[in-house]
Amino acid sequence: MEDPIAELIQKCAAQDRVAFRQLYRDSSAKLMGVVLRILRERSEAEDALQEVYTRVWTKSGRYDATKGRGMTWLIAIARNLAIDRLRVRTETTGDDDMETIRDRAPRAEIRVIAKGEARRLADCFGTLEPERADAVRGAYLAGLSYVDLATRHAVPLNTMRTWLRRSLLKLRECLDQ
Amino acid sequence: MTDSSSLKPEEVDEAVAAEYVVGVQSLAERSATEARIRTDADFAALVTIWEFRLADMNSSYPEVKPRNLLPAIEARLFPAAPGSAAVPLRVRLSPMRWLSGMAVAATLVIVGLTLLVPPRPDLVAVLQTTDARLAYEVRHFGERLTITRVAGVPAVTGQVHELWVIAPDAAPVSLGLLQDQPLVITYPVPPEGWVLAVSVEPDGGSPTGAPTGPVILTAAVGASDV
Repeated sequence: MEDPIAELIQKCAAQDRVAFRQLYRDSSAKLMGVVLRILRERSEAEDALQEVYTRVWTKSGRYDATKGRGMTWLIAIARNLAIDRLRVRTETTGDDDMETIRDRAPRAEIRVIAKGEARRLADCFGTLEPERADAVRGAYLAGLSYVDLATRHAVPLNTMRTWLRRSLLKLRECLDQ
Repeated sequence: MTDSSSLKPEEVDEAVAAEYVVGVQSLAERSATEARIRTDADFAALVTIWEFRLADMNSSYPEVKPRNLLPAIEARLFPAAPGSAAVPLRVRLSPMRWLSGMAVAATLVIVGLTLLVPPRPDLVAVLQTTDARLAYEVRHFGERLTITRVAGVPAVTGQVHELWVIAPDAAPVSLGLLQDQPLVITYPVPPEGWVLAVSVEPDGGSPTGAPTGPVILTAAVGASDV
């Protein structure tokens, strides 16, 4: 399958700096969208993005194109870095705005997914109770923690953990069919 | 975790891999999961599969053009010449190079736990200058790390000492500001091989979320922390 991003990552692994520039041009807007969604603050997101590309360059040798698309690999790096930073911020300073979390409209995300090319995952989300599907999506897209989700859905933390784990296993069952 | 008893044993790894990828774990849980990814290839494969399984959701992230960060990223990755070590961390370096750069800084000393005088069970690391005129002790109590200045004085007015933790292959993450009172944070014991560092930052801490001033102290977390 054609995957120009994957080819650029592989060239980076061969220390090709021109390819790295091209990779930045072709992927930075998407990765900025990812880190900004999670960190919600532009200057922090841009700072995180610099670190993302530093990691992309240094880890490019570990990318395995047989396991999946290049953009998916890039987004995984961006999400992990942004989520780590978000956790440090909220857990060490308590600086998070629960109102923001509560006010965020989860339904909009469902619609975007439903009409995109994400047909199969969207179909499988349909096998979950809507509230639980929302919890999975909210966590994935915005980097919400169990604590955030429990607040947002007004259920105890352990209940949320059970919900989410069961929902994920159910999704796996559906996706792997 | 709390409800793992309700999952079959083979489901627990799946669930942990999935919840790591979804991103719901706490900082401590993420650290533990990341440590496992590095050491357990089967588990790492589960994580990779989950990353691709859930990847369809990525289409919901909008594209947002950042300002042009390429020059800054390239300056970080491809420094023009070695030997410009006098440049402070104004250009934020990748952790690995950050560390090797520190070898140049002759005033620094890395004190691992193993080198320390009587190892107290809860002592994680000591950050101190070679002349020991400035020293911070990092101790672990329950769920908390306490960082106490045991020698020297705080940063001059208008500046502050900021504590960072650096996992292997990861960017420095701020743990907080070191001022008159001991710094107490909810944080697990950093695993062996992680590095703690103190940089000098403007009042209020680093404006960027990464070290911007000179790094004055570092310590690798030793082997015998329990």
